Amino acid sequence: MEVAVKIRKLVKRFGNTVAVDSLDLDINEGEIFGLLGPNGSGKTTTLLIISTVYKPTSGEVYVYGHDVIREGDVVRKYVGIAFQEPKALWVDKPYELLLWHARVVGYSTSEAREVVKNVMEVLGLWEHRNKYFYQLSGGTRKKVEIAKVLIQKPKIAIFDEPTAQVDVISKHALWDAIRELRTQGSTVIIATNDMFEAERMCERIAIIYKGKLKALGTVEELKDSIPEGDIVELMLDGDENTYLRAEDLLKQYGKTVRSNDSLKIFLNKGEERAIEILDLLKSRGFKIRKIMVKEPSLDDVFFYMTGAKLKEG
Amino acid sequence: MGYLSAAWTVASRDISRFWKYRFWLAGQLAMNLADVFIFALVFNNIVNKAYIPDYLKFMTPGVAAIATFAAAFSIGREVGVEIRREVTQYLLSLPMSRSAFVFGRILGGALRGMIYQVSFLVLAALIVNVPTTTKALYIALTTVMLTFSMSSLAIAISTSTKDFNLQATLRALTYYILFFLSNVFYPKEVLAMRFPPQILQIVINTPVSLASDIYRWGFGYYENVDAVSKILLLLIWSLTLTTLASLAYLRNLTKQ
Repeated sequence: MEVAVKIRKLVKRFGNTVAVDSLDLDINEGEIFGLLGPNGSGKTTTLLIISTVYKPTSGEVYVYGHDVIREGDVVRKYVGIAFQEPKALWVDKPYELLLWHARVVGYSTSEAREVVKNVMEVLGLWEHRNKYFYQLSGGTRKKVEIAKVLIQKPKIAIFDEPTAQVDVISKHALWDAIRELRTQGSTVIIATNDMFEAERMCERIAIIYKGKLKALGTVEELKDSIPEGDIVELMLDGDENTYLRAEDLLKQYGKTVRSNDSLKIFLNKGEERAIEILDLLKSRGFKIRKIMVKEPSLDDVFFYMTGAKLKEG
Repeated sequence: MGYLSAAWTVASRDISRFWKYRFWLAGQLAMNLADVFIFALVFNNIVNKAYIPDYLKFMTPGVAAIATFAAAFSIGREVGVEIRREVTQYLLSLPMSRSAFVFGRILGGALRGMIYQVSFLVLAALIVNVPTTTKALYIALTTVMLTFSMSSLAIAISTSTKDFNLQATLRALTYYILFFLSNVFYPKEVLAMRFPPQILQIVINTPVSLASDIYRWGFGYYENVDAVSKILLLLIWSLTLTTLASLAYLRNLTKQ
């Protein structure tokens, strides 16, 4: 399988802020690849470097073997990006904007009219075609942004948080359109902080946190990569202090992840240990509202791999 | 997409957008027309006839020269807004070379200037004189050079900072320096009474002054003007400004 995007020791600094920190990644041709991480984790910066908008501070990025710095003109022929924030001015109208985009990416005028109309109809944008951008809702603006890439059909299609601000019905239509794009031959890169979207859409996922790669693999591989395969989740009566005390007590069983209203312990033999934990907590005077034993979700993988706390978000 | 077709596609976007700022255009047009029909007509009876026999005929070609600024500078304003809203990121991601993109932007701004100026050139022909074919060619060349200079200068200024207020201030400052340090309002003889000789030499050789003189000669207000020397000097100005501004624009766009 050919590598579509190769990233080696990529670093991007903005002043003293390190946005991307020594990132290594291979994205294979034809896959739907997810960059998963919270806001400010370096996803967008990485995508902007792949699409030649930003230059790396150090490291190397190749698109089909072409260096993004030295061969930017060639790289841009392979890449199309739908930005996180729709890029238009208030005077723009969706139809004009997309028609112009279609001309830039190589369609003749008549082809452009046809492809733009088709894509606008698929995304439910046709009725909004002659409205000014400021008259559109956030979700509709986002769809216009996505439409650019669907029109372009690039070899590497990048979507930065494609369904943020989009309603649930449109979300499914967008996912279908992105999958269709892959079927037509594009390699798809999706940056998201939505675990459900990542799990549903992506064949492989890179978890990025504070600019660093924390984990990489398929959803199943990531879930299996947690050494303690079960999770005991507890809900206790009490305040943050209660959870702090419980966490101290239960660290002996495995890695713990605490939020305001639950405590998760990653461990083996979850069902047997849950009874021990229950007894221990009762003996120390804790009041237990709920105890569950479950398999890890992608959320759990994220928190386990990054060590992030929910309060950070 | 080839270099020229990419540049033209970029320029066509800027031209089509030009018509969307109708109210701004109307305001600009009103100001320039006021310069001709209020300012020039009123001053026609005040100025010394020995220096300026007909102030309306003197002023109209000058206004045609400064009219290119207003329209060409509008591209600078728009580029500034695009930087603030990060639309520039989209433009930089498009499948074309950076130089084609920069050339397209400058071409778009220059064409805006030319389109806007046409009505003032027609006005000058009506008020002063209809030019001969040769002189019309000089006028056209002057317009091309002036609009390219101003468009690239305005774009370069707008990309020099992300601070929108500073962008607007720098553009306005440049406009007023070029506007006031020129012979649009007064002929060389009058300027010589106010400025020291060294400053006078600068004032009469700025792009606006050179263009105003060529227009005045082209429309027949002046008889004895060394149009060839002036157009060559304007060419040097134009090439220098366009090259430097293009390089600055390219550098500012890609510095991140």
